[in-house]
Amino acid sequence: MDNRKYNIYFHTHTISGIITCALLYVIFFAGSFAFFKDDIAAWQKNTSNAGKNKTTIKDFNTVIDSLSKHNQLKGRNFEFVMQRNGVGVYVNMSASNDTTLIKKQKPKANAEGRRRGRNDDSASFTYNFAQQKQAEYQDSYDMGEFLYRLHFLAQLNVVPIRLGAPFGYLLAGVVSFLFLFALITGLMLHWNKIVANFFVFRPWSKWKTVWTDLHTALGIIGFPFQLIFAVTGMVLIVNSFLIVPYTKFLYKGDGKQLFQELEYSDNTKFDYSYLPLKTNFDLNEFVKQTEQKWTAGKITSVSIRNFNDANMHVILLGKPDPKVSFSGSGKLVYRVRDNKVLSETTPVASSSYVDKVKSTLYHLHFGDFGGRPLRMMFFVLGLIGCVVIISGILIWLVARDKTSVPNYKRKFNFWIANVFLASSLTMLPVTAITMIALLFIGKPNQSDIYHWYFYSWLGLSIYFIVRKDLALTNRQTIFLSALTCFLLPLLDGIVRNNWLWDTFNEQAYDILFIDILFLSLAIVSGIAYWKIKKNQVAEKV
Amino acid sequence: MPAKKKYLTRSPWIRTSKILAGSLGGYAVMFSFHLFLCNIFPREDVVVTSFFTGYILWAILLLWAFLAENVWKVWLIYIGATILFSIPFLIPS
Repeated sequence: MDNRKYNIYFHTHTISGIITCALLYVIFFAGSFAFFKDDIAAWQKNTSNAGKNKTTIKDFNTVIDSLSKHNQLKGRNFEFVMQRNGVGVYVNMSASNDTTLIKKQKPKANAEGRRRGRNDDSASFTYNFAQQKQAEYQDSYDMGEFLYRLHFLAQLNVVPIRLGAPFGYLLAGVVSFLFLFALITGLMLHWNKIVANFFVFRPWSKWKTVWTDLHTALGIIGFPFQLIFAVTGMVLIVNSFLIVPYTKFLYKGDGKQLFQELEYSDNTKFDYSYLPLKTNFDLNEFVKQTEQKWTAGKITSVSIRNFNDANMHVILLGKPDPKVSFSGSGKLVYRVRDNKVLSETTPVASSSYVDKVKSTLYHLHFGDFGGRPLRMMFFVLGLIGCVVIISGILIWLVARDKTSVPNYKRKFNFWIANVFLASSLTMLPVTAITMIALLFIGKPNQSDIYHWYFYSWLGLSIYFIVRKDLALTNRQTIFLSALTCFLLPLLDGIVRNNWLWDTFNEQAYDILFIDILFLSLAIVSGIAYWKIKKNQVAEKV
Repeated sequence: MPAKKKYLTRSPWIRTSKILAGSLGGYAVMFSFHLFLCNIFPREDVVVTSFFTGYILWAILLLWAFLAENVWKVWLIYIGATILFSIPFLIPS
């Protein structure tokens, strides 16, 4: 490779890495934990979704009954979208299609925001099948949700800058694009030496060589994984970069048509007949029958069109079990009045190209096709990403820490590395501290989690920034990580009697898993701390 | 050792021009290329494929703008390619 190209790869790699380092670290760290979103939720609420006889009965009829107490349901459309844990369901009830029933209402002020500012009597909420009650978002918010949303910077959406997308999402999208760019330049930079350098590890030489070897080797190992996440992450968070222009130029502004062709939505119209439905219909029974029929898949959404009208239809959508088929979309359209299935595609039937690509994309990003072992592998690869980011920053700092570099520049470089390390290395103890705090709060809600997480993060970061000592930051954060990650399973045992053997006996494997996860993190941090201490002693002698 | 300065663009104007050519021009080439493919393959297939290929191609075109010795050539090629790929789209059928 000629020198010019090499140096350009080098420089563009450095710049894109430096710009994104802090946010990218947050995304990687929170995203890795988000693989265990449901386990963390179960841990926090102390209600396992794993154990024995935990098959939740999905009682749709009760939901509809309870809605009917305060609403005239005739002619409405319903949408039940199952959540991934199989316990919660997102319910959406539209206004009635029966124009004679719609009350002349004064439009409500539209100030409540996009979610709730509709001026008809439609409603949407999350319902919990296990507890058989409506879940308010604020109260059902948990640590899993928090970390999941942190990994696409949703909390930054409060920044009142809107450039076509909420600020946090847009920022996450730009970061993942720069990350993709850094991955490509990084690969090109090491292209000639991939094989040679892969086996080079010189742990006993200068720190800079250690960082470099670590950065290169782990960067190459993690490359395919990280490339997948850079690309699929962009698709999930800022796909409007592509969708908006496609809608404009390819679909002549018809976004509905685009979503129809991409199989995101179905625009089939079911006319309202204004005639009463004469037959009785049991939705629970119908869903149960279909579930028994679709053994290799599960129902993901249940929709009702024209409730209690003669032209009432029920549409079931399903996804295959990824063990049986990686892609596929089940769909069943049922007409109630003559008890007739109008069309049926089982989830395991052969799927379209669009569905195959989309399934690949989602499965790869969510890591939901290989059970817990796969998610654990993805978790480790995600943490490897964190190590690559940190080592990259340290290489960058050490390479510029020379007498030939002007003093003001060295000060600035140190300041960047100091702030970055202080804010990134504190994330693990802060996560553990927040989860421990939640053990002692009766019913933690969204603001409790926000307060504990962001204030302890801010406090610890400021402490380490003020100390201005990278080695000390490293040492003390690792010590704090070991301590807090160990306290988490310990206090879970003391406070809630969830000792490892108890949760094991109760088969509450999701709660057990989180305890073991933090125990392992404590052990790894403990070993690291012990090694650091030993080195320190050795250096003094 | 940081990257050697003598190989990098020194003028801030040329650097800005490269960034703009790579990001905006690169996007235009990437997007028009996929629109062009819609004449050959079913459009929904092209759209969904571009979820993967689009972003990667865009990033590569951004990098290519930095590698080029002459930024005007990059502008010329990117604008030319965009027009070329848009021809079937511009001719009313």
